[in-house]
Amino acid sequence: MKFRVERDALADAVAWTAKSLPSRPSVPVLAGVLLRVTDGRLQVSGFDYEVSSQVTVEVQADADGAALVSGRLLAEITKALPGKPVDIAAVGAHLELVCGSARFTLPTMPVEDYPTLPEMPSSAGTIDAATFASAVSQVAIAAGRDETLPMMTGVRLELNGSSIALLATDRYRLAMREIEWTPEDPEISLNALVPAKTLNDTAKALGPIGGAVTLALAQGSAGEGMIGFAGGARRTTSRLLDGANYPPVRSLFPASHNAEARVAVSALVEVVRRVALVAERTTPVLLSFSEDGLVVEAGGTEEARASEAMEAEFTGEPLTIGFNPQYLIDGLQNLGAPTAMLSFVDAFKPAVISPAGESGEIIPGYRYLIMPIRVTR
Amino acid sequence: MPPAGQARSVRYRRGVRLVIAKCSVDYVGRLSAHLPPAVRLLMVKADGSVSIHADDRAYKPLNWMSPPCKLQEAPGVWKVVNKAGEELRITLEEVFQDYSYELGVDPGLVKDGVEAHLQELLAKHPETFGEGFTLVRREFMTAIGPVDLLLKDAEGGSVAVEVKRRGEIDGVEQLTRYLELMNRDPLLAPVQGVFAAQEIKPQARVLATDRGIRCVVVDYDALRGMKKDELTLF
Repeated sequence: MKFRVERDALADAVAWTAKSLPSRPSVPVLAGVLLRVTDGRLQVSGFDYEVSSQVTVEVQADADGAALVSGRLLAEITKALPGKPVDIAAVGAHLELVCGSARFTLPTMPVEDYPTLPEMPSSAGTIDAATFASAVSQVAIAAGRDETLPMMTGVRLELNGSSIALLATDRYRLAMREIEWTPEDPEISLNALVPAKTLNDTAKALGPIGGAVTLALAQGSAGEGMIGFAGGARRTTSRLLDGANYPPVRSLFPASHNAEARVAVSALVEVVRRVALVAERTTPVLLSFSEDGLVVEAGGTEEARASEAMEAEFTGEPLTIGFNPQYLIDGLQNLGAPTAMLSFVDAFKPAVISPAGESGEIIPGYRYLIMPIRVTR
Repeated sequence: MPPAGQARSVRYRRGVRLVIAKCSVDYVGRLSAHLPPAVRLLMVKADGSVSIHADDRAYKPLNWMSPPCKLQEAPGVWKVVNKAGEELRITLEEVFQDYSYELGVDPGLVKDGVEAHLQELLAKHPETFGEGFTLVRREFMTAIGPVDLLLKDAEGGSVAVEVKRRGEIDGVEQLTRYLELMNRDPLLAPVQGVFAAQEIKPQARVLATDRGIRCVVVDYDALRGMKKDELTLF
């Protein structure tokens, strides 16, 4: 194997692949990235039996072949290289890397021992990359991190015809986003539960590339239990979580509400952040809504206290409701809109936060449901 | 009763004695130490040990004498002497309280109480490991010891579960040995392994996964029906 490649293209490819390598590989070869040159193209691959990632880079190839080297080391080296073309060659049991006057010799691992990457499942359709990335980031924030509830650590994708719904909840909040896509089969009806971290990393990597992301999902055939994403020269596959008993979370959105408030998102985030400084990790911030506006408070009678008043357009009976400040901020920051519309049933029922435009009209597509914290005063 | 003024040796066979007194303390031995007069708690335990406490810290006394040692009480002065001849001298200015109580036989600290309870709870709720899982028995005996739980999965396959509070490498090794033995039994084989714990160390998880053992993190509070006082969506 011998080729010459642009420094930036190589560094990007290796960095992205190395990111998904296991931190504690059970087999040493899994700590490696596989470099394979065929037909003037270099494929950089990484795999940990759960997630696989692969990038294709155009190179000037002198000789085809493959080499397996430590992913972390190669990523660090390529990141530090000067901006000159990189020459890489496999020489015996070593990989020679030359860039300008810098020269590296890396030990290689046996390519035969490296597992075969899973096949991409067949394509189910395509989504605009930027839309996909923003939708995933809006939803993945609500996924749980508690491993005692593995189902909650995933983002549920509901593919129905030309719409995809993304849902995630950790039982304290629930985020739902609906986006349009172009399915291969207009009658498609499929659900998948994807590990939130993998989905988020993938969306973050594919979003900036632009264009379309191909979503690959097998149904009752080879590759079941697997999802694939491809965008630009990158593709990644991940094992799905078992979501057969995913709770019917859509029904958690209240059917009606008794009060609603329109608040400027950036102002409310700032106020909550400021006031929450005196709140302990488990204590809520209190939001008191009335016709005069909104008062945000935190702290107890004995400890430090804070309060701040701000403008809010409120309709309904005056209401005081407590929230986990971080959960509230997470929801507000992911609205992607200047105004937040908060709808309440009462102080003990979940509240819905929806994005709204400058003039207060609700922007459909995203909703964030947040459970209040019981407040005794 | 020895005549007043004469030093008497007191050996408490059972129980603790608590004395609250204004006292000063001098330690004469390898390291000399002096505590100026103040009100303190003196604790004399059944094994003869004496410790002097201030009104802070959970367990660490200001000064103490470990057993075996001997307490000699004279009016206004306690002398605690150990075998090496080191002496803790407590000069009592005023005694406010002097109280003894027999504690009886102590069952000892049951460190694996949670583990045993977890095993019992998981035996009651085998569905924690998957739909259709049923219990065959707890403490299933193998030639090298009992495996915590033997279950059947929905298809009737055997599942051996090792329950730990903290899942570490040792637990995985233990389960591996059981699995190897159990898989030799044609009535049980093939036996799947499940490593269940409240918390599983990353190293243990890697080893377990590499050996085809499934890791399950269990929520003790949820299993025993202890609900946190907080609202959730469902």
